[in-house]
Amino acid sequence: MLEFLRVHRLEIATLTLEHLWLVALSMAIAVIAGVPAGILLTRKPRLREPVIGGANIIETIPSLALFGFLLPAPWLGARADRIAITALALYALLPIIRNTYVGITGVDSGVREAARGMGLTGRQMLWQVELPLSMSVILAGIRTATVWCIGIATIAAAIGAGGLGEFIFRGLAMVNDSLILAGAIPAAILALAADLGLGYLEARLRPPSA
Amino acid sequence: MDEPAIAFRRVTYRAQGRVLLGPLDLEVRGGETLVLLGRSGSGKTTALKLINRLLEESEGTVLVEGRPTREWDAITLRRHIGYVIQETGLFPHYTVEKNVALVPRLLGRPDAEIQPRVDEMLRLVDLNPQEFRSRYPHQLSSGQRQRVGVARALAGNPDILLMDEPFGALDPLSRMELQQEFLEIQKRVRKTTVLVTHDVGEALLLASRIALLEGGRLLGVYSQTQFLESSEATVAAYRAAWGGNLQHP
Repeated sequence: MLEFLRVHRLEIATLTLEHLWLVALSMAIAVIAGVPAGILLTRKPRLREPVIGGANIIETIPSLALFGFLLPAPWLGARADRIAITALALYALLPIIRNTYVGITGVDSGVREAARGMGLTGRQMLWQVELPLSMSVILAGIRTATVWCIGIATIAAAIGAGGLGEFIFRGLAMVNDSLILAGAIPAAILALAADLGLGYLEARLRPPSA
Repeated sequence: MDEPAIAFRRVTYRAQGRVLLGPLDLEVRGGETLVLLGRSGSGKTTALKLINRLLEESEGTVLVEGRPTREWDAITLRRHIGYVIQETGLFPHYTVEKNVALVPRLLGRPDAEIQPRVDEMLRLVDLNPQEFRSRYPHQLSSGQRQRVGVARALAGNPDILLMDEPFGALDPLSRMELQQEFLEIQKRVRKTTVLVTHDVGEALLLASRIALLEGGRLLGVYSQTQFLESSEATVAAYRAAWGGNLQHP
């Protein structure tokens, strides 16, 4: 195994970077879309059912099938990494939207009432009260989504999007455990590192309870 | 006669078709402490929230400094009025200093003015600025939190102060201390204050006048003596339920 790692170290590093790139870009897109969507739901509660319901439906689609559904899409379907990034971003949306909504609506009603009573505008309420106080809950959603995405991204290799899944699929085809482990171990380390790192950040951002 | 600081003119508030308050006619004079006294569901908090437009009347007019609240910009109106609630509503992620400085900052006061103002307000509520400035709300006792809540409400130097059961969550001893301090502060700052409570003893101790509400209706407005001597059945019932002695008339 060690010999295998020594020989393939460059390829492992390249595929790990590719994997990180897929996950980072899809998470960036999911956060940019998901957090504002969650905020919007707190302002327009009637949208909650259709939006959360829609995100839930996406979650139920098997990842390989979702990659397949996106293949015929114009522009997206032209490149495998575009398909993978879009699918991963779609998967990441649900926990981010849901936690943003839950985090903001969970802000203490006394704090909210005092803030309104003192004359904070809607925007000031969002930036000075709601987002800081819900940041740890939002981050918990981002953490869950990131760990999911690191795992699901291994399947993106099936459509030629690269990443650590390349080793896993190659190992499955060749019935070679070393190859499978060369993909699975770095993916597991990435997931653990993301979980620990974001968990630490989440704890740091948790507001003190009054 | 002077224009009242706050006036309710035939004000009704409805929610989901039910009348929760009114019709209410009531005036609050400048510099007085008017206590809204009543049991839960009597409409006293509703009346309070109509003053700073956290709620809006269904009918009638609420006037603040002679101007209907609907004509005020809601944000300007609220920054013009201090607001203290039972749970204090201190921002848990802000230090005491940042909490107290909030309204002056919102009002655009310069930094050089804010720091001394924060210290002045903390001293006013008997908290040592050096000791408490950098603490967070969770590092304070409930009595200290309530003091910071009062300091924050006064920091913008509002003419009007609204207090919704401000001492309701405190233990009896802290409650008595804070009531006494409130009397001292009120002597010095003379703010027009509307205070909501269901505690008869607190009402008699703090009020210039007591407005008694029952089932969303105003039963009457009484001075301390009138309240103690009234033969009206409801007032007598409140007195009997209280059964205490007025320690600090």
